[in-house]
Amino acid sequence: MADIFLKTEYLDRLIGSVRQAGGRFIAPCTDARQTVFKEAHAAKDVVADYILAHNSYKEFLFPQTEVISTHKVKKDSVELKGIECAAQGTVIFGARPCEAASLSALRAVFTWDSIDEFYTKREDNTVVIAVACTRGDDACFCTTVGLSPDSTAGVDVMFKEAEHGWAVMPLTGKGRAFVEKHKDVFEKAAPAVKPLFYPEKIKGVDIEKIKERLSKKEHYEDPVWPELARKCIGCGACTFTCPTCHCFDIIDEGTAYEGERRKNWDACQFDHFTLHASGHNPRDTQYKRWRNRFMCKFKFYPDKFSSKGCVGCGRCIRVCPVRLDITEVMEEMSLRP
Amino acid sequence: MNNIYLPHLVTIEGIYEEAPDVRTLSLAFKDKALADSFVFKTGQFGLYSAFGLGESTFCIASPPTRSGSIQCTFRKSGRVTGGLAGLSIGDTMGFRGPYGNWFPLDEWKGKDIVFIAGGIGLPPVRSVIWNVLDRREEFGKLTVVYGAKTVNDLVYKTELAQWDERGDVTLVQTVDPGGETPDWKGKIGFVPTVLEEAGPSPANAVAVTCGPPIMIKFVIKALGKLGFADESIYTTLENKMKCGVGKCGRCNVGDIYICKEGPVYSAAEVKKMYDDF
Repeated sequence: MADIFLKTEYLDRLIGSVRQAGGRFIAPCTDARQTVFKEAHAAKDVVADYILAHNSYKEFLFPQTEVISTHKVKKDSVELKGIECAAQGTVIFGARPCEAASLSALRAVFTWDSIDEFYTKREDNTVVIAVACTRGDDACFCTTVGLSPDSTAGVDVMFKEAEHGWAVMPLTGKGRAFVEKHKDVFEKAAPAVKPLFYPEKIKGVDIEKIKERLSKKEHYEDPVWPELARKCIGCGACTFTCPTCHCFDIIDEGTAYEGERRKNWDACQFDHFTLHASGHNPRDTQYKRWRNRFMCKFKFYPDKFSSKGCVGCGRCIRVCPVRLDITEVMEEMSLRP
Repeated sequence: MNNIYLPHLVTIEGIYEEAPDVRTLSLAFKDKALADSFVFKTGQFGLYSAFGLGESTFCIASPPTRSGSIQCTFRKSGRVTGGLAGLSIGDTMGFRGPYGNWFPLDEWKGKDIVFIAGGIGLPPVRSVIWNVLDRREEFGKLTVVYGAKTVNDLVYKTELAQWDERGDVTLVQTVDPGGETPDWKGKIGFVPTVLEEAGPSPANAVAVTCGPPIMIKFVIKALGKLGFADESIYTTLENKMKCGVGKCGRCNVGDIYICKEGPVYSAAEVKKMYDDF
């Protein structure tokens, strides 16, 4: 399969074709004047001139809240039912290559040893179509973490913008099957693609040096941590928009007689996250929680799962209410011995 | 679909009041096949459900040498433990597990064992103690140093008396200053100090400790003074957990997920960890 092209006006047919087959087509759409990933019903819903959707598309693989079991408490027994994850066929269109690279991190955490099928079933039924970046902003830093505007990790089909459409490159078996299945909407052409936007690599940042620094136990006592994280208000917005953050809570909802158990997104930035029943809290101040998140991205994930914990999408920078910029901390950590 | 978060249903067969707000539940699996096939090792933990309220993590406080039921001991301190405390004999609750690693009892054959626990830290140690007592001839001298804030807060009072009466266990009990009663015959003082005074020999011995994090830190110091090598000191780090299977992201101490790689560690391993527990 070479020289595949999708005309701009045929996007509507592609969406129709996916929906007709019972799938949902997730794309950057306008919602209350923000561009967010949500279900598109037709091409007119899809936003073209965006940098990055406000939310990460992880919520379509790992929903913000999902029922995992239901229970009815009766006089002499409990009726407990596990939920079957339906995992509707899903197409994510317009993902950026940076966030697509987060899938290996999510997959790793949900499959090491025991397997969370709520996640794997959805991911297995999802095709990720990334559109290589022709625009960006000063929060983008994919090149600093070793990715690029057309990097292929986690991408099933790469789209590159051209005049009047996209050059289409299936990259995985899933991607090739997708293009084959919807072959009627594609045509054979090889137009010139638009130049890509490469964010400038932040000169002071050295990912290997950061990891080396974080591997030394002494860095825990480094006074720079309280200083760097002083302005953090612990809102957790960075974790909710981050495509690799995966932490969750398990809670029961309902009455004493009937209810459901849910997996809900949680955040390591919240003070209750690690609070023991005794009142003891291992991460009892905000800088310890911030330090944990930074280490999770640049040490725990690379070490434990051989995957990137940070993909450089810059969402945490754009959304932070106090302008705590993770790249500034990366620079600071690269400088230190 | 295999749902790793779905608990097994268990029936409460016994409830024992241990101390103010602390109780033990004896649990039997409803599924006959599971009841017969369920095995665990001392030191492992589980997630216990009060349906409608949620799940909490406790160690399995009974020894694997006594099959038929498992026990958990907890302090009523929040939503879930409050709910569990409200259940009666015959009621149904949930259990998932066993999770985590265990105390390497087989490596301890022929050795003396010193058990040191504080307050509600005794339940995981109790599983080891009964396990060792049920295989008594395989081990050397046994010493138990146990303390709580007050006499009333000591858990497993009946069992403490049983261990004391056996003759093959040295039991040292203590309460914090001010926690004694007029007829208290044990020690008065903090666990690490009382341990040093008791002075168990480190020769061919291992130590097992659990209690509040601050107590564990000082007990490891005291054991060091007595000559115990870090490799022969074991503890269990019970951080807050929600999933129990390495996914929810909160029990980590640095890059170590306590639920997966722990909760049992030697002091040598603990000293290598980030100071995050």
